[in-house]
Amino acid sequence: MNGSAIIIQLDGNKPGGRQLDGGQLGRKARVYQPGEILSGQYTVDSASPSDIGAVETSVLWYSEGKGDEDLAVHEFWRKSTENGDFIDARRPERFSTTLPQSPLSYDGRIIKIRWCVRVRAFVGRKEIVAEEPFQLGNVPSQEEEVGEETS
Amino acid sequence: MARSFRFYPKKRGNRRTGSGRLGRLGEALFFAVFLAVGCGVLVLMVTTLLVPQWRLNHDFVETTCKVLDKRIAEEDGEDGTLYRPELEVEYHVGGRTYRVWAYDIPASHSSGREAKRAVIDSFSIYTEENKKLYPCWYDPAEPGTVALVRGYSWLLVVVALPLVFILVGGGGLLYSLFHWGKSVEHRAATTRHTSQQRFPNIPDDSDITNSPGTTLDFRLPMATSPGWALFGALAVCLFWNGIVSVFVVIAVNSHLEGDPEWFLTFFIIPFVLVGLGLVVFFFRQLLITTGVGPTLVEISDHPLYPGKQYKLFLSQSGRLVVNSLEVSLLCEEEATYRQGTNTRTETKDVRRDEVFRREGFRVHSGLPFETECEFNIPADAMHSFKSDHNGINWKVVVKGDIASWPDYTRSFPVIIRPANARGNV
Repeated sequence: MNGSAIIIQLDGNKPGGRQLDGGQLGRKARVYQPGEILSGQYTVDSASPSDIGAVETSVLWYSEGKGDEDLAVHEFWRKSTENGDFIDARRPERFSTTLPQSPLSYDGRIIKIRWCVRVRAFVGRKEIVAEEPFQLGNVPSQEEEVGEETS
Repeated sequence: MARSFRFYPKKRGNRRTGSGRLGRLGEALFFAVFLAVGCGVLVLMVTTLLVPQWRLNHDFVETTCKVLDKRIAEEDGEDGTLYRPELEVEYHVGGRTYRVWAYDIPASHSSGREAKRAVIDSFSIYTEENKKLYPCWYDPAEPGTVALVRGYSWLLVVVALPLVFILVGGGGLLYSLFHWGKSVEHRAATTRHTSQQRFPNIPDDSDITNSPGTTLDFRLPMATSPGWALFGALAVCLFWNGIVSVFVVIAVNSHLEGDPEWFLTFFIIPFVLVGLGLVVFFFRQLLITTGVGPTLVEISDHPLYPGKQYKLFLSQSGRLVVNSLEVSLLCEEEATYRQGTNTRTETKDVRRDEVFRREGFRVHSGLPFETECEFNIPADAMHSFKSDHNGINWKVVVKGDIASWPDYTRSFPVIIRPANARGNV
């Protein structure tokens, strides 16, 4: 941690948020529906708050599984001291966005689509990153194997 | 607490949570070298090729000269001797007489002695009987430099070569610098913003809805037409067997001449077997293409939504004794990944719902088998999805088991949108 940590809290969740099944806390991620508003806040707990040069907040999805990772950002905010933004690490910073129609969270056989809020802080020459997963939609896990083909 | 990641995170597939500064530095250096090589070669070519020819055509002063002698100059090249026509000329500049060997600028040697012979034969040597003078152009800054021909050489096209390096290197370097110090999220947000699209990562269905049906609203296009599949099978078969046949001929000749090449003979056996397999595959495709008539699938609406019911029309032409004909709705995951230098694509069927099945019937020539049925999109179905390396594809699959004939499968892609998106369209 290097004396720094990021705490993300989605509205309606406890601080730090819930984790996906199989995650560190072994709890279900909060479920949102397309078009719903996702909001929350984060705090950067840094031993040297004045060293924070920039903080980026993204609402994004990424793929997991057999294929190379794809990643797309739905919403992106950047606060940077270079741009004259005032970054007060001790005060919670709020974020809010309307979630898109797609892609929905998906737990397939060789493809998984994960949604999360990711916060990246640039502290001195280091970067600290934290993410809070959530689920978009209610597509059930694909458990039964039907067939396979490789080319 | 939310997960925190180290600067150099543990590898977990290709997850991009680290900053990858070293990688971006290497990328920038790679493109910088490309750009530097391109610039260096371009400067060299401009100074040795372009500038001399431009000066010859714009700055050099025209005068006349006598041809005193002629020869074909030779130079050793990598692929043999190179030649150049040369004429000894005499001309006067400012009261001073110059006598030099010259022809073109820059002096270039090339293959083809006869062409150079024809060039020097077109000039006649100055004598008392033949007092013919030829135009020539000398450099006013250095009158001893002269040429007997002007214009631009085709060699100038090679100046375009370093431009390719400059474009690739410069473009790559600009890209690297533009994204320098940016996180993976920042770069993704710069290049693609999903919130600008109504249905991000769901393929467009215009290719599917641009063909109206005769019975239902839309006629679905086939994923791969049988004609193209046949052509592909033929091309691969000819390519593979063409190469293998060369080695087969060598091996067979060695046996016929009594000096058998046993290593080659055993070495090519697996390649020959693969070639035979390709021949069998080609003829199988040929039988399917020619023996099984067109399969038409029409659908009552598109795109499709989970939990909704749709009509499907199937028409199968040909002259067939059908053991079974099956229509199913298939969901397939498709993942593309790099393995070393190869790019591989793996697909996995995750859902197959039977829509229609009929066994033991005949299709008569000129009288296609036609049926209409209804099917439901499962309420919990995942929508169609497409990203750079991953995809979720839905398709209507028609599978036929024909008596005394190879089985065939024909796929018709469809697009499924999220269930709750219907009200937003």
